[in-house]
Amino acid sequence: MPPVVGVLALQGDFEAHARLLRACGAEPREVRVPAELDGLDGLVIPGGESTVMTLGIEREGLAEPLRDLQAAGTPVLGTCAGLIMVDRDHLGLMDIRARRNAFGRQIRSFEAEVEVAGVDGAPMRAVFIRAPWIEEAGEGIEVLASVDGHPVVARQGNVLVAAFHPELTDDPRLHGLFLEGVGR
Amino acid sequence: MQLGAEGVFVGSGIFKSSDPPSRARAIVDATTHFEDPERVARASEGLGEAMTSLEARKLEHEQLLSPRGW
Repeated sequence: MPPVVGVLALQGDFEAHARLLRACGAEPREVRVPAELDGLDGLVIPGGESTVMTLGIEREGLAEPLRDLQAAGTPVLGTCAGLIMVDRDHLGLMDIRARRNAFGRQIRSFEAEVEVAGVDGAPMRAVFIRAPWIEEAGEGIEVLASVDGHPVVARQGNVLVAAFHPELTDDPRLHGLFLEGVGR
Repeated sequence: MQLGAEGVFVGSGIFKSSDPPSRARAIVDATTHFEDPERVARASEGLGEAMTSLEARKLEHEQLLSPRGW
């Protein structure tokens, strides 16, 4: 049985994550209401717009169920806005503080080759779209990649975050790193 | 959404309706839960009047965009 991995589908590019998860051999499930979290082996919080996503999480009563899911040990992957959603000021799943639009406005969006610890082979081609970075990180945070001295990929326990959009390329290696946790 | 769009763009449809806040919330709700017909139906209730649409054939000549400019 393939692992069932939820993708928070209130807003953002949830469909691109579902495609890449499927390519990695997982079974994606779109999550819009708390009941859809039942029985998940992992959860992805996609890129999008963090204020809209926050309002959606409030509207659907998803904040506590999401915290419970992570506290129960279920692996969580947050990308771009998903990185913001897990920080201290939002869902509080990870001891970081994200800085929104940290690299600048839309015109400052860029692609870069990024070396990610734990991802074997060539650097990843990383797509940063009005991306955040990690402004503050607590003791237990393992930084896996940085750009210009700012952490952009990090892990704490069962939570993995990336400031870029791995789902917008055909490179499944970051999802693979996340799914290693799912298999445990 | 059922055809695979990632979202819905609405402008005057909200602002020119009789109750813009309710209509905006309803559109978000219906778009997010497009696969749940009951939720779409519930979101569609009690929204007041929709934006009044204009018919091109009934517009005065000076209201048309096509003859403007040079």
